[in-house]
Amino acid sequence: MGAGFLVGVIGVLILSHATYSTIQYRALLKITEEEFSGPPIDVVIELIISLVLCLWAAMAAPGKFKSIHPQSEENRVIALPANLDFMIFNHRGKIFPLETELKLK
Amino acid sequence: MVTRREEEEVNRLENQVENGGGGVWEYLCLVHKLKLRRSDMVLKHGLSILNDKKKRSALGPEEWTLYEQVAVAAMDCQSNDAAKDCIKVLQRKFPGSKRVGRLEAMLLEARGLWSEAENAYSSLLEENPFDQVVHKRRVAMAKAQGNTSAAIDWLNKYLDLFMADHEAWRELAEIYVSLQMYKQAVFCYEELILSQPTVPLHHLAYADVLYTLGGLENLQTAKKYYASTIDSGGKSTRALFGICLCTSAIGQLTKGRNKEDKDSLELQSLSAMALEKDYKQRAPSKVSVLSSTLRSLKI
Repeated sequence: MGAGFLVGVIGVLILSHATYSTIQYRALLKITEEEFSGPPIDVVIELIISLVLCLWAAMAAPGKFKSIHPQSEENRVIALPANLDFMIFNHRGKIFPLETELKLK
Repeated sequence: MVTRREEEEVNRLENQVENGGGGVWEYLCLVHKLKLRRSDMVLKHGLSILNDKKKRSALGPEEWTLYEQVAVAAMDCQSNDAAKDCIKVLQRKFPGSKRVGRLEAMLLEARGLWSEAENAYSSLLEENPFDQVVHKRRVAMAKAQGNTSAAIDWLNKYLDLFMADHEAWRELAEIYVSLQMYKQAVFCYEELILSQPTVPLHHLAYADVLYTLGGLENLQTAKKYYASTIDSGGKSTRALFGICLCTSAIGQLTKGRNKEDKDSLELQSLSAMALEKDYKQRAPSKVSVLSSTLRSLKI
């Protein structure tokens, strides 16, 4: 988790730096009285990098992925459910009753 | 279906619950979801929640399903008094409910009052002839009384109506196997494989029955299904042994005119190798037994 979290922090830092540069750029435009045609190229690059880093962090930081392959070891079917609809009560457990103090109060 | 991951989760929670580490409700939910039959645990810990007013009201509407779960578990553990108390609470909450009526009939069944239970089920069926659970309870009741042929009759009638119920097909197959009626069991397992083709355990059971039936054609089909068990479900020691046994039996049947293709020879040597590898990993002391067994099968 540590590495993923660190990457996320860097991504957010780059994103905030991009925000800061955009604000500065707009202030500069106001002073020089130019038309706004689009964000400067360094802000766009920063945005793309931070997008990738934040995506990476969102995938890696919260937890591990579980396998979806049916043939993988952890998804191996090892038992069928007990057929509870056909459960019968007079089985050999009848001879060994549980503790009798189990009662609903 | 219980997968490896889910089994580990259940065992972990069970340990935790047994040692008083909390997580009782999660455990009960998981048991309910996976349809496991851990009646003693459910009874003990379910009652501990139900007897604690604070914990019980924290569940909200789930409380009533817990009462139902505990009632069935209590019947399974023969503590009919606890079951009766649970059903009484449910009755007060849901008067005239059919689901509670079913529980009452089950309680009669648990006490061994067969004719009363039968009457209760028939009156429930009169109200709603398509209640699948009641139909299944009748089958189970015939089975509990040792009347297997009646159980088969009921099940066949039920399956005429509800053909898509794979649990009923599985039950019928298991009854047929217990009566050694393998040809009928084969049919049931074919239905099961058709309805749930991705469950390797059905393939395995089908192959087992075919191998038991014997005959060249059945053995060849059995071998294919053992192979498909491994193909779809990862490792299965039983299926690996099945392939070895089938190959050896086929070899004995086709003695003299040995025209086996190369693939099947490769399959048997591969499965023998996989078995040896698995044994070396998990039970190194039994490797010698395994290799002598494989030798006696002429593999």
